[in-house]
Amino acid sequence: MKTVRLYLRSMKMLMKCQLEYPFSFFLQTLAQLVMEGGEMMAVILIIDRFDRVNQWEAGDLFFFFGIMSVTFYLTECFGRGITGNFPYLIRTGQLDTILLRPRGVLTQVLCSAVDPRRITCIAVGTVSLIIGCNLARVQWTGLKVLAMAEAVLLGAVLILALFVIEAIFCIYSVKSVELVNALSYGGRSACEYPIDIYPRPLRILFTAIAPFALVLHVPAAYILGKPLYAWPEWTAFVCPLAGAVFFGLIYLAFQKAMRFYRSTGS
Amino acid sequence: MSYIHVDHLQKTFIIRKKRETGRLLREKETVFALRDLSFVIEKGELVGYIGPNGAGKSTTVKILSGILTPDSGNVSVDGRIPWESRREHVRNIGVVFGQRMQLWWDVPILDSYGLLKEIYRIPDADYRQRLKELTEALQLENLLRTPLRQLSLGQRMRAELCGSLLHRPGLLFLDEPTIGLDAVSKLALRDFLRWENREHGTTILLTTHDMEDIAALCSRVMVLGHGQKLYDGDLPALLEKYDTSRTVTVRFEDPETMPALPEEASLSREGDLVKVVYAPGQIPTPEILEKLQQAGTIREMTIQPQNIDVLIAAMYREMDL
Repeated sequence: MKTVRLYLRSMKMLMKCQLEYPFSFFLQTLAQLVMEGGEMMAVILIIDRFDRVNQWEAGDLFFFFGIMSVTFYLTECFGRGITGNFPYLIRTGQLDTILLRPRGVLTQVLCSAVDPRRITCIAVGTVSLIIGCNLARVQWTGLKVLAMAEAVLLGAVLILALFVIEAIFCIYSVKSVELVNALSYGGRSACEYPIDIYPRPLRILFTAIAPFALVLHVPAAYILGKPLYAWPEWTAFVCPLAGAVFFGLIYLAFQKAMRFYRSTGS
Repeated sequence: MSYIHVDHLQKTFIIRKKRETGRLLREKETVFALRDLSFVIEKGELVGYIGPNGAGKSTTVKILSGILTPDSGNVSVDGRIPWESRREHVRNIGVVFGQRMQLWWDVPILDSYGLLKEIYRIPDADYRQRLKELTEALQLENLLRTPLRQLSLGQRMRAELCGSLLHRPGLLFLDEPTIGLDAVSKLALRDFLRWENREHGTTILLTTHDMEDIAALCSRVMVLGHGQKLYDGDLPALLEKYDTSRTVTVRFEDPETMPALPEEASLSREGDLVKVVYAPGQIPTPEILEKLQQAGTIREMTIQPQNIDVLIAAMYREMDL
């Protein structure tokens, strides 16, 4: 509970920081809108041209785009410490400062930044979700709401874990960060569309390695009433747990990396 | 058992050299940051820790504060092994780096303190009392609502100190706290450190290159070089060992006067001033003075010991650092 309080308090303070420069904040927020709006444009163009991709119709595609967009940018907004700051903290030696305080390392890193500019991206995602629900005539039930909440939450956990990988690479002073970006940002771009439109290698990558398909696509397909690979209903609730498992594994690797960091220094 | 116990501490780093052309693997070199370092510090001591760059001072501080794990050797601080129980350990220490800020850059320092209160889980009453006491002692009352970035270097350092002491650590590490400060700020900072040490019995380990800091604050000084402890004792005794020369500057009534002195003393003339440099070990000071008085009527005279930095440089040279 104290951790939550620390997090909320940090967020409040950091928001205040951001608003110290209101004009810059406004411009950057606008830039985000253009960026994410452009991504959505791509979906609109595809729908305009093809009307359907495999079994997925316009509404479905909007829904897939929306759920990814909302999940990813919620994570970038509230998890900015990990998604944006972490490698920087390691390179500048500020991780030492964090180690000097009596709290967990990941907790403190998570508390080190917030990115409210992402609000426009989240808004674009939400709009896309709403359009998707309307076009696909989604009948909401309690279970579907639960599936949605679980997907977004565990999606966030999965995305955070992907960025922790980048931090681990940084600790071992490996420079090839692009490889990791291919999983995180690449995963976002690719998995804005349903997984089964991709060739086999990509499907494996985003199912078995960075399991976006399990965490987001299985529940999304369930909500749309068109189960992915015709899997049974319960998979929509079990598959997203892959996000938590993934985080768990990365967390263990992170602990090991921290031991390495503390034995080699910065 | 003593408060801080360091026993045969050893730490090596592996430095990867730049790859030479034509070779597949980079050469690695093992560098000893600390070799067989041992010392004991009692509660309430104010110890100066000096040594040239790269001597292993920061490594020692990092190990003592639980950030770094040593290769071998034992350390206990207040009965704990720093790197094994990091969270419990850091709750009781404060660390200030002269060149690295720990408070948040864009927010008023009071907000930073509020967050530190949360991080260290300081009870409300303790926090209020401690904040009041520290802001008074450090004269921060009027700065609390100013963002850190708008403060001067001296003000920032005071703010940092306050932040690192809010949770009442029993042990404070200071890494070059007076670096870049003006004379007034330096003096104020030293006064504060003496006060904190006296009032709360806070044990302080001060790493610095500023010998004035050490002379003003520390009853004990440790000299580190090449990862080894070279001296541990009081500063005057250390200086005496290396204080090998004095400079006497004399102005005679008659500017043409040239005193006759023993060969060991060097004599030079700058304008109408006569400068004599000699080693008190070789020629006793009274003898020099007597010779000067015999030479002519003295209008003005000063005797200077060697500059403290020069002494330390001489010491580093002799210890081959």
